[in-house]
Amino acid sequence: MSRSGTARPRTGGRTSGIGSDRRSAGQALHRYTQQVGLVAVIVVLGVAFTAINSAFASPDNLIDLFRAVTLYFIVACASTLVLVGGGLDFSIGAVYALGAVVAGLLMIGGLPWPLAVLGGIGVGVLAGTINAAVSVYLHVPPLIATLGMFFVAGGIAVVLTGGTDVYGFPDDFITIGAGDLGGIPFLIFYAIGIGILFHVVLETTVFGYDIRAIGGNRAAAAANGIRVARMDIALYAISGGVAALAGIIGAARLSTASPAAGGASLTFQVITAVIIGGTSLFGGIGTIAGSALGAILFAEISNGLQVINVNPLYQNIFIGVILVAAVAIDQYRRRRRYRAAS
Amino acid sequence: MIQARANPDAAELELRGITKRFGHVTALSDVDLVGYPGKVLAVVGDNGAGKSTLIKIVSGVHRPDGGEIRISGNQSVFRNAADARQAGVATVFQDLALVEVLDVSTNMFLGQFPRRGWFVDRKAMDAESRAFLDELKVTVDSVKTEIGMLSGGQRQIIAVARAMRTGAQIVLLDEPTAALGVRETAHAVGLIRELRDRGNTVICVSHDMNFVFDVADRVQVMRLGQVAGVRDIRDTSKEEVIGLITGSLSDRPIEEHL
Repeated sequence: MSRSGTARPRTGGRTSGIGSDRRSAGQALHRYTQQVGLVAVIVVLGVAFTAINSAFASPDNLIDLFRAVTLYFIVACASTLVLVGGGLDFSIGAVYALGAVVAGLLMIGGLPWPLAVLGGIGVGVLAGTINAAVSVYLHVPPLIATLGMFFVAGGIAVVLTGGTDVYGFPDDFITIGAGDLGGIPFLIFYAIGIGILFHVVLETTVFGYDIRAIGGNRAAAAANGIRVARMDIALYAISGGVAALAGIIGAARLSTASPAAGGASLTFQVITAVIIGGTSLFGGIGTIAGSALGAILFAEISNGLQVINVNPLYQNIFIGVILVAAVAIDQYRRRRRYRAAS
Repeated sequence: MIQARANPDAAELELRGITKRFGHVTALSDVDLVGYPGKVLAVVGDNGAGKSTLIKIVSGVHRPDGGEIRISGNQSVFRNAADARQAGVATVFQDLALVEVLDVSTNMFLGQFPRRGWFVDRKAMDAESRAFLDELKVTVDSVKTEIGMLSGGQRQIIAVARAMRTGAQIVLLDEPTAALGVRETAHAVGLIRELRDRGNTVICVSHDMNFVFDVADRVQVMRLGQVAGVRDIRDTSKEEVIGLITGSLSDRPIEEHL
């Protein structure tokens, strides 16, 4: 009768008498060990790449590296919320392209660029809302609902453009993607701003607490009055809107909106970066800081291997190993930490 | 209602003729149950006797196919768990409904976080959790400890404490001492007495006869989805209750629907 795991008697004698309500040092450390480990890996790899070719650590290369991170990281922020909330959005790669294409076509059609940008984001929000509605009301698992949307959104992007790139954007619009401030691309500032915003939302707001609750135990959240369906709609709408926004910024940077941008590779890279960053595929656990580090590690490997002249074809092998290792280490720590759980 | 508070003999919770079928299986057939404020009613019975189904009907998880639920005399229909909660029914389920990855105080306030605009008032939440747990003499090292790090007994106590915090008048507990050690059982018993002394209507499903005779004022025996008997704890014995559970004694003939 009893569900396995929830009520086993305690086995170890584990009562350290810390009478304060601060997180103990051990707990704080646990919360960030994955991050500390990632920082170590990033630093060690950076030192190794630099030792082989000092050009890796040049300011120009580092700015390149961080610029490459930004768009993935922006999408990863929203994906982190979705995963922490116990969901999964596979459609982001296609919504990225669709948002860019819609904004681009509206712009070329004569709409002022800020409105065209809003139009593109709106299409992303709509796609996300449909994802959530299909998963909540038609009981289609999120993986399938968003995989379906991946094909639909990607297909619409191709149909709208006839499969060709869209370009001829106003200069002001191109500046938002390609401009810089004292040599530092605007993109990096966007990423930092969006990262801080999502961090604050997840860690301090009622919405953020509710996200962790529904991801940690959906039934418990619902039984305690959290409106899980409404949360799902908000999360997927945010995911779609942010993916479209990133696609639009990417289009501004390249002065081109391509229906072939993003795609499966973006979806995979974003979800991989988020998971390497310590976010659980099973919900409840994850941080924006972790996702930032995951995205940086990803970009570092891709950039570093090029700088040291390793055939870029090897890149995926590294990424695959790191992904599996990160999750294995995390699972091991979690098993040791929680008694009956998971 | 006020009337119920004024008169402790008035039932706080009243089930009349509750029937529940799952497909061809009749889980509950014409079941009555009455709970009084300031009293503990134990619901006992063998596996499959319908105890858990009964609890789930009062807590809004299942909807009955027949019969009625009255809270303080008012007929109530629960479409879901949120409705039951709204009506003042708090349930501590066997699987506890805690979020393991979240800490004690977050779990205590799940779905009802103290707010400052869009933000959770973390300080107020921790302070209130701490004060409330201290009042109940619940010892946790820190209210920021994740539930996943607590033992089964500690989790059970947090779950009961949460039900008490929500201020519900009727508290349902499903097997509150299952898998608890001796000391933790004593603590749970203490919490249940505290609930009773505060004037709550307490309904406990339990297998544990010692526990039942320790805390209950009345005991209702379920057998094969029907009520085999209701006894005042002072007027009965373990032998009689066990007889009612196994069917060797019965107030009325129980049909076996097979």
